[in-house]
Amino acid sequence: MAVGPATIARPAPVEGRPDTLRGLLEREGVFSWLMLAPGVLFLLAFVAYPFFYGIFLSLQDRRVANPGIFVGLANFQSLAHDPVFWQVTRNTLMYVVVTTILKLSGGLGMALVMNQKFRGRNLVRASLLLPFIVPTALSTVAWMWILDPTFSVVNWVLVHGGVISSGFSWLGNASLAMWSLIVVNTWRGTPFYGITLLAGLQTISPDLYEAAAIDGASVTQRFLYVTLPVIKPVLVIVTMFSVIFTFGDFQLIYALTHGGPANATHVFSTWAFDIGMSAGQLGMGAAVALAILPALAVLIVGLTLYLRRE
Amino acid sequence: MTTRRDFLTVSLVATGAALAPRWADAAGKVPKTLTTVRESSFIKAFDDFFVKTLAPEYEKLTGIKVGYEAVSVGGMLTRLTTMAETKSGPEITGVGLNWPFLFDNALVDVSDIAAEVGKKLGGWHEIVQDVVVVNKKWKGLPWGNIGQLEVYRTDWFKEVGVTKFPDTWEDLLAAGRLLKKKGHPFGFEIGHGFGDNHGWMYPLLWSYGGREVDRDGKTVLIDSSETAKAVDFCRKFYQETMFEDVLGWTDVNNNKAFLGEQISCTNNASSILVVAKRDFPEIGKVTDHALNPQGPKGRYHVLNAQSLALLSYAPDQAAAKAFLRWLYDDKQMSRWLAAGDAYYAPFLHAYDNHPMWNPEPRYMPFKESLKTSRPHTWPGPQGTAASESVAKYVLVDMFAKACRGDSTKDVIATAAAQLKQIYKAK
Repeated sequence: MAVGPATIARPAPVEGRPDTLRGLLEREGVFSWLMLAPGVLFLLAFVAYPFFYGIFLSLQDRRVANPGIFVGLANFQSLAHDPVFWQVTRNTLMYVVVTTILKLSGGLGMALVMNQKFRGRNLVRASLLLPFIVPTALSTVAWMWILDPTFSVVNWVLVHGGVISSGFSWLGNASLAMWSLIVVNTWRGTPFYGITLLAGLQTISPDLYEAAAIDGASVTQRFLYVTLPVIKPVLVIVTMFSVIFTFGDFQLIYALTHGGPANATHVFSTWAFDIGMSAGQLGMGAAVALAILPALAVLIVGLTLYLRRE
Repeated sequence: MTTRRDFLTVSLVATGAALAPRWADAAGKVPKTLTTVRESSFIKAFDDFFVKTLAPEYEKLTGIKVGYEAVSVGGMLTRLTTMAETKSGPEITGVGLNWPFLFDNALVDVSDIAAEVGKKLGGWHEIVQDVVVVNKKWKGLPWGNIGQLEVYRTDWFKEVGVTKFPDTWEDLLAAGRLLKKKGHPFGFEIGHGFGDNHGWMYPLLWSYGGREVDRDGKTVLIDSSETAKAVDFCRKFYQETMFEDVLGWTDVNNNKAFLGEQISCTNNASSILVVAKRDFPEIGKVTDHALNPQGPKGRYHVLNAQSLALLSYAPDQAAAKAFLRWLYDDKQMSRWLAAGDAYYAPFLHAYDNHPMWNPEPRYMPFKESLKTSRPHTWPGPQGTAASESVAKYVLVDMFAKACRGDSTKDVIATAAAQLKQIYKAK
């Protein structure tokens, strides 16, 4: 019996001609761009456009309701000579660095606890998320009362507990005001770390812990050599996001202190708003807002490179 | 709707119906609606009177529906900025302080209406022109001033033997010392609010002869012996009559502290008394107002003029102007002001003895204060530099830093450097 050459299985021909709509949609390149288009358009409209418009504004002497005059880097030069700008820079860095450290450590602790099995775990998980869920404007009002010298529950407890004789000025004292804001931001931001890191923790196979335990690893060693390496990418990403959000924090500070007393709590976002909106200097306001860009860019590029290397 | 043809038909009809009013407007027909936006009033009846009485009356008269958008307190400048930048939104807007100077290019000249209204109603108070007349053109029509005066507890002042509110800053300091010893400190805002800080700090500076900048807008005057005296007094006033928290206060704090019976005196609009009469009648009975004390160089108050302005993007400016003419006619304006419970001191001389002042004599100082009111940064020119100085809290922070212990020389030097940069002075 003559044996003919084996027939090679071919994929079924694409239905429809390439020049019809269906044919076009069947092409992977076209279809993937079509799926990406809404997201890309959204980013272009609400992220890229405002960002580049902000850069454009920062290079102008642009007063509200007036045409702008191109001034190059004059706005940035002017800022460099303004002592308040440097105070705002110091405030922002302190606010971001301290809150990030506190939120990171607090969130990690929260995630480790929530990863344990105990009664009412789901209820605790849900309630710990509350600070993150409650609108900032609303929770800030509550904090206004908590930190109010007259009606402060903290002062009341301290005074009636015999710890102090008169209440602290949580928002009137320059140092205390900054620390008060740091506490509020940490309270609000820790659940974000907690829940994200918890998701990372839950991907760790129990086998790894068992193997480590058999090898005689202590709890600390298991954390350092099993937990931490596995959740490191999540840790880096959540820190990056949090730093970006904290750099741009506005509502909390604006509502509680509006940058006072004597600029002690002004950060880039609140100061930019005052200059851009209250003073009507949109160009200078944009320059202030963009002043955080180099620091953020270095951070983002650095963390991204680190992630890729990992 | 069962077929694609049905869907298309319904969509086209709906789109046509939605666009029809625009096409009609474009064809030159009278608009069916006008909208006014302004900061919501502390006196609810004032907003209500516009919405429930004035707007329906105008609609009945002309067929034009007048919308009213009340922006939350402190948010009007942001709203106006958005409107001016996007050239869209309500046709008529509320403006405060020196905003007509900031938005000059976006506002219509309403000098013709101002002249007519002034002629009919006894003329305008001269000082208000400093904040609404830009390059000899009226860019806003003022209706009232929200004064910032001394608010104090009469019973506690009497307890320390002060039966009449002190006439000078030094006398107020003396009274404050006694009251603080009695557990009734003063509470004047020295933080980053938007009104109650400037409300007494500019008058304090002026009353000692200090000035931020000269009327030429180029000569910074803050570094003077007069300013030093004002700063020294402020430090003493804070340390001997107040407590630390006032350094971080915003505008809500002094109201809360006064109504919480924590302070005996502050600088505020009449809102404290309004709330006290409504919610804390016992406190209301022992609360009164007084003019700011005078210093060695006089007595001053800040001008906080509230006006209505017309946006230049309004599609039918003639219709909007017609509405403003109607609104500023005595028949309407008089009733609207009366609804405001004397919260707004009118800038028209015909209302100097308006019946609105009769029911509550404790509001009379607000009328009196108009004579000695000056715009922020006076005598400097109004404009973006003046706004920048206010927005950067140059004066407030100068006093605040002195209160927390910095030297007079240092705080003045810092303020002078900031003002020179702002005013581009040498």
